[in-house]
Amino acid sequence: MDEQKSYYVIDPEGKLTCHKCGVPLVKANAVFGYLDNAFPVELPVCPKCGFVYVPEDLALGKVLSVEKVLEDK
Amino acid sequence: MDFTERSTRAYRTKMLYTKEELAARESLCVHEQPAFCTAACPLRLDARELTRLTAEGDFSAARAMLERAAPFARILAAGCEHPCTEKCRLNEVPGCEGVNIPALERATMRHGQKRTGRGLLRFKKKKTAAVFGAELFTLVVAAELAGKSYPTAFYVAEPDAEGLLSRCAPFLGEEDFSAALDELKSLDIAVSYGCELTREFIAAEREKYDLAAVSRECLAALDAWEPDGVTLYCEGARVLARPRDGEGVLRAFYDARRAGVSADRLAQGMSPANSRGEEGAMESRLYTDLSAVKPSQSVQENGAYTPEEAQTEAQRCIQCECVECIKGCAWMQHYGKFPRVLTREIYNNVGIIMGDHMFNGAINSCALCKQCTVTCPNGYDMAEICLSARRNMVATGKMSLAVHEFALYDQLFSNGEAFLARAQPGFESCEYVFFPGCQAGADAPEAVWRCYADLRARLGGGVGIILGCCGIMSHWAGREELYEETRAQLAAALEAMGRPKIITACPTCAGALSGLGECVGVWDVLLSLGLPEGAPSACGAVTLHDACGARGDGHTQRAVRELAARLGCEVTEPEYSGDRAPCCGYGGLAGYAKPEVAKEMTELALRGASGVQLTYCMGCRDRYARAGAESVHILELVYGAGAGSPPGISEKRRNRLELRRRLLRELWGEDEMQKPLDFRLDITDEARALMEERMILDTDVLSVMRHYRESGEAVLENDTGLLVTRHRIGNVTFWCKFTEDESGYTVVRAYSHRMTIETR
Ligand code: SF4
Ligand code: SF4
Ligand code: SF4
Ligand SMILES: [Zn+2]
Repeated sequence: MDEQKSYYVIDPEGKLTCHKCGVPLVKANAVFGYLDNAFPVELPVCPKCGFVYVPEDLALGKVLSVEKVLEDK
Repeated sequence: MDFTERSTRAYRTKMLYTKEELAARESLCVHEQPAFCTAACPLRLDARELTRLTAEGDFSAARAMLERAAPFARILAAGCEHPCTEKCRLNEVPGCEGVNIPALERATMRHGQKRTGRGLLRFKKKKTAAVFGAELFTLVVAAELAGKSYPTAFYVAEPDAEGLLSRCAPFLGEEDFSAALDELKSLDIAVSYGCELTREFIAAEREKYDLAAVSRECLAALDAWEPDGVTLYCEGARVLARPRDGEGVLRAFYDARRAGVSADRLAQGMSPANSRGEEGAMESRLYTDLSAVKPSQSVQENGAYTPEEAQTEAQRCIQCECVECIKGCAWMQHYGKFPRVLTREIYNNVGIIMGDHMFNGAINSCALCKQCTVTCPNGYDMAEICLSARRNMVATGKMSLAVHEFALYDQLFSNGEAFLARAQPGFESCEYVFFPGCQAGADAPEAVWRCYADLRARLGGGVGIILGCCGIMSHWAGREELYEETRAQLAAALEAMGRPKIITACPTCAGALSGLGECVGVWDVLLSLGLPEGAPSACGAVTLHDACGARGDGHTQRAVRELAARLGCEVTEPEYSGDRAPCCGYGGLAGYAKPEVAKEMTELALRGASGVQLTYCMGCRDRYARAGAESVHILELVYGAGAGSPPGISEKRRNRLELRRRLLRELWGEDEMQKPLDFRLDITDEARALMEERMILDTDVLSVMRHYRESGEAVLENDTGLLVTRHRIGNVTFWCKFTEDESGYTVVRAYSHRMTIETR
């Protein structure tokens, strides 16, 4: 898989705060995994505790459609 | 039992069927068999299509069909002995006549436009051909050979083209004669008129060509042996000729076509018997439903049909085809294909090792209802094929868990947390056990409660109860291991009660439980006991829907009708009822795999329905109500316990748990104290609607919020002030958006995904 390619990019700048740590979420690399496949993405992550936020539109959009494709592999 | 996700990197396949097994299934479907008229034609002219085009008034397209089928189509149309008309199925309807296909052909030749443009320029073949003597067969052979691009010479005794044509086709009328004459002149044949066709002449000329065909007369002059009955080839004389029995116009065309095939083989230095394929007329195995056909007579042909007359005659054709299965099955309608093709696609889909399995959705959305097995005149069993494919996919790790996970966990829930199996208080062993089924407990717990009380009161010998799922979900999902596990659990429960007779309230349960004990429908019990006190006696008009689980079970179908009659129901039946009833969309877990297909099943089952829809399966009751119909299970009627609008997925689970607790408390004095939540948890209506659509349970949301209380992990949306948190349960990550105050939480949205997520 192309490591450079990112399947989703979101800029959390000033929109999201980690409720536990009280710090703003930052853009960071993450990997979605399903049925032994991996997809690099950029997601809002807490720089302190590492909480990764998956927004609803991503979960029901891109993530769901990729899930469906893989389910028929 | 837990379910783990599969890997798409494990490459395994298992053959679904052997070649023979596949062929045995496919050959049952006669949808692609030719129409009876077509099969009767040795030229295999698609008369059904020709008739369809004529009925639409497209004479030119119909004419083109005819001209593709044979040269000198005018002569064919004028003289054909038309076995097609005799074989037309309309003849079998009393007072009805077969379609006059040759008359349509004549009209077609007259009213259709001739195709213009000769198509591609074709190169002449190297091998040459000669034809000797005038008869219809040789005339058509010459045209066939020229059409195949052999440089063709034609030696005849007649002085000119007119003489040749009147010799070959003396039956032609004036218009046909001149049209045929034009065609003859336009053909690329070198005709030598006025030849003296003696033995010496023919023998000497023949040697100048690679291929030769002769008339019967010339054959006699050559003193040759009779030609072979199939290839029409005379070995000794090395000529093609029609056999002695080959009389008639149609036969001349058919023989000419066969001679043309032989000529091609000979030109390639092969035996003319080589790979000829199927030739000639055949018996069609097609099935056509004639029940709706009204008798009609052929339009009289006075000279020739006008375009209007031809259309009227052609419109009498019913376009014979077998559509028995697809008429009643929304699944087939959705995929737009017939069982033979569907079977092949399923077979191929299962055989794919790597790559996209485009047909998984179809395999998983058949209701497994076996309606097709009844509606098909040959008993085609799509359900067996789809279920075998599912089992195969499970066995090879190709079945995605996502498709059936919710249903499978629902079964585990019914037979775990919500399971109850007890003998009636005061009885060691019981004569009977009531098995209402998981859906009854979920949708209509009050009716189940009252029914059980009634059975205890009026049946002697003890009536135990089992609240649980019969296991059909795992069976439908192709997960036989879980199915067997469930059967063992139920068998043990029955054993502990002293092997009672099982009273079922669902035909599907009855089917699944057969083999574990003697089953009797609750309707049978109520018929022999009589209706309970207070049961209604004037329910009025209802539409009765047979359950697909009761297919082939005439006894149950009759018992329910009898019970409905006693309740004062005036029953009407949908078009497809009894053994032919469709599935409501609940069967085969279709609703979990492909909600949109299941919805079409529900709509088809409800087509034209109004008023009260009476069912005897809770699955049907639930789906019809969800589709907006007023539906009721017969037990709700008997016990006056209408369950109203159907509960959501979480409420169904709560209903089952609550029914269990109520029974334990009131019959066995066991109070299972429910620990109240130590915090407030509200779910808004909007969140609830989303959860229903996204198959998220209240208990999932509860787990997420509990996890939040422990971990404190959440994200704050600065602009909305909402918090978002998540928790992974099994193979799914659930997310909740919520507000928080000192008393607890209000969840405003919920969603989920199956993917895992890691930071790098
Ligand atoms: S009913 Fe369906 S499966 Fe049966 S022969 Fe006709 S088209 Fe084929
Ligand atoms: S009804 Fe039409 S399709 Fe059927 S046999 Fe007759 S002509 Fe052929
Ligand atoms: S849904 Fe029922 S009728 Fe349709 S193919 Fe499946 S088993 Fe046959
Ligand atoms: Zn943090």
